[in-house]
Amino acid sequence: MTESELEVLAEIRRIAADELEWSGTVEPRHDLLKDLQLDSLGLTVLAVGLENRFRIRLSEEDAQGVRTVEDLARLVAQRAAAPRTPEVRP
Amino acid sequence: MPSSASGPDSSPFIRAVGRALPPHYVSQEQLIAAFRELWATRHFNVERLEDLHRAVQVGGRHLALPIDDYRALVGFQQRNDAWIRAATELSETVVRQALDKAELTPADVDHVFFVTVTGVATPSIEARVANRVRFREDFKRTPLFGLGCVAGVSGLARAADYLRAFPTHTALVIATELCSLTLQREDLSIPNIIASGLFGDGSACAVLRGGEAPGARGPRVVASRSVFYPDTERVMGWDVVDTGFKVVLSAKVPNMVREHIRGNVDRFLGEHGLARGDVRHWVAHTGGPKVLKAFEEALELEAASLERSWRSLREVGNLSSASVLFVLGETLEGPEPRPGDWGVMMALGPGFCAEMVLLRW
Repeated sequence: MTESELEVLAEIRRIAADELEWSGTVEPRHDLLKDLQLDSLGLTVLAVGLENRFRIRLSEEDAQGVRTVEDLARLVAQRAAAPRTPEVRP
Repeated sequence: MPSSASGPDSSPFIRAVGRALPPHYVSQEQLIAAFRELWATRHFNVERLEDLHRAVQVGGRHLALPIDDYRALVGFQQRNDAWIRAATELSETVVRQALDKAELTPADVDHVFFVTVTGVATPSIEARVANRVRFREDFKRTPLFGLGCVAGVSGLARAADYLRAFPTHTALVIATELCSLTLQREDLSIPNIIASGLFGDGSACAVLRGGEAPGARGPRVVASRSVFYPDTERVMGWDVVDTGFKVVLSAKVPNMVREHIRGNVDRFLGEHGLARGDVRHWVAHTGGPKVLKAFEEALELEAASLERSWRSLREVGNLSSASVLFVLGETLEGPEPRPGDWGVMMALGPGFCAEMVLLRW
């Protein structure tokens, strides 16, 4: 994992412990649903926490290719590194 | 395990249900607009939160106070004092309305069950209502705090249990919930944001009479059944914090319904020689769209079976314990029930647990 992916992994671990009452370990190979037992609310809490920390937006389509903690860390690191589209405000 | 039951003819009956909503109606979009600025102080993707508020399919809520007054409520004492005032007022309204509908007076009432999970008061609210409507001096009081959404059905079931022991008596079940006054504005967690989109304020009062009381009218409470699900304490509830009640809400609730309710209902009905196909009226707590969907799928109900619950959810949100009594009241006053019809009331709540009541018109 790259340095930025490790940074995302650390944030995933923090959210799991602090906000999702998860007392087990969180490893890159862990399946979000099967190993971390995340339900729809848990996934939303995780997504919102990552969006806040890395100032990104994640969508339903993003979730398609994401199964493990490592998949999620890679997606978030890529999104955080991408040039931000300027927000258009009326 | 046996249900609480007696023969249909000697069973207590539900004579009327009063219902009231506070006067300050706010649409969901107005609420989202009011919350948006607050959400943006912590959350980057505010649109996601707006979507969560819309996903609960609630059109709006009737609030205990004008929306602008909530900002000044920062401590538990302020919230709870406002709760006591509004809860007493609304409870008095539903008691008077329910007794009028039942063609009874406060002097006819032997026992009042008061259920809530959204505020605390000593003396409890039914005592404060007694000073306004003047029940007899020997009326009995059973305030129940902490059952949450299940308490509408549980309160009704416990009142019916009491009326089996005192079959000439009359009991009231008041469910008053002012969820808006529990809202922790500074709690920007996702469960709290979902709760702030789903829960509303309201009060209902059911009038029950024992099987030997005169004026039998309305469905009889043939039996009831409680089901406790062990080791599920964190599925739903409150963490009590310095500022009041902080919501504990897990997405496991719809799964609990899917896992358990079909077996629970089938066993309960089976004890009375009934099956799901014999039930004409399903009076379900309006937990939320996922909970209602889970009821429909698990019990293989026809599309219109829970229409009253869906409509109540859309119109006023989840009123916690009062919701199922709103649906019951509308069923009682609707044209559908015919003599001989069977009905099932059902709700789930913190514990985690379920309560079911078998009705016969």
